[in-house]
Amino acid sequence: MRPGLTGMEYLWMVNQMRKHLVLGMVLLLLSGSPALGEGPQIGTVKGTKGLVSILRGGATLPAPTYTKVLQSDTIMTGSDGAIGILLEDNTLLALGPMSRLALDKFKFVPAKNEYAMQVRMEQGTFVYISGLLGKLAPHAVQLETPVGTVSMLKESSFMARFPEEAAPKP
Amino acid sequence: MKRLLLSLLSLVLLAGCAKKENLLVMIPDAGGAVGAIELKNRQGTAQLAASGQALTLADRNSPPAGRAIAEQELQAIFGEALAARPAPPKQFILYFQFDSPQLTPESNAMLAEVLTTVKERASRDIIVVGHTDRVGTPEYNQSLSLQRAKLVTEILLGKGVEPASIQTTSHGEGNPLVPTPDEVAEPRNRRVEVTIR
Repeated sequence: MRPGLTGMEYLWMVNQMRKHLVLGMVLLLLSGSPALGEGPQIGTVKGTKGLVSILRGGATLPAPTYTKVLQSDTIMTGSDGAIGILLEDNTLLALGPMSRLALDKFKFVPAKNEYAMQVRMEQGTFVYISGLLGKLAPHAVQLETPVGTVSMLKESSFMARFPEEAAPKP
Repeated sequence: MKRLLLSLLSLVLLAGCAKKENLLVMIPDAGGAVGAIELKNRQGTAQLAASGQALTLADRNSPPAGRAIAEQELQAIFGEALAARPAPPKQFILYFQFDSPQLTPESNAMLAEVLTTVKERASRDIIVVGHTDRVGTPEYNQSLSLQRAKLVTEILLGKGVEPASIQTTSHGEGNPLVPTPDEVAEPRNRRVEVTIR
């Protein structure tokens, strides 16, 4: 028990907090902000071919042109799929068929000097063309791949291919 | 016919069907400049800093190895991804007359081109960003640059651009066109950038 509160006062306080928590969550959901498990918008789908989708909060969603891309999204393409995505800083990402890209973190607020980009190129083929974030803060870009971590010494563009994972490694 | 089959077969093999490898290849940006990246895994680090320079490796426990790679092979492996690249955004820089909410005559003339570009691309993705030079506090410049950005957005809305298509933000003094020390006036930085994507 906290010192200075009677049992009744403590219970009342906890109950008030619980009510406010529920109210707060309801307001958050109603306000239209991203639900828990989704991030803020970090980019847009600019063009697609074949089967493409976004894995978001456990659900697989279609990803046609104009779809907003959110932080924490995983972009996926099928065997006939390809997709082009533009991030908020004009970084340009393209995926070929049978590819997966997890957009774990993206923060681009130059007015506050806040930059972060953490993505995982899990499998497939990728074209990465650096935007403003890579130009202003290359050190803030971190790309995880199946064969190691790619970091930028200066703004860079590159292509990468990671074949489908075979049996999981120990 | 045999020759055609042979070259098709070699193309398929080039695409790495038989023995797919992990691959990293540097490419130039739109302006032709090449950057520098570093791959780090348990075996150490390797750098790529020249256009066309490539690394290959079997897995994360292997050291990276340099690799020559022909244009034809690159096209075979990355053709689909390359074709899916979005068109590069087109940017316009607009300036205001000194201490005024009016655009300069040159910038006014540029507006027509802005609107044409929006139509051509059927763009729903227009970013209007205000900037200042480094005279004044960051907070003041954040506010001033936002005001200027909003003025440009108002002009675009007045010309029929859909409100939902425009994002209006400001970068304060944090993203200069011409880098300067703090508190140095630089008119070229006092701008609003309109990017059509």
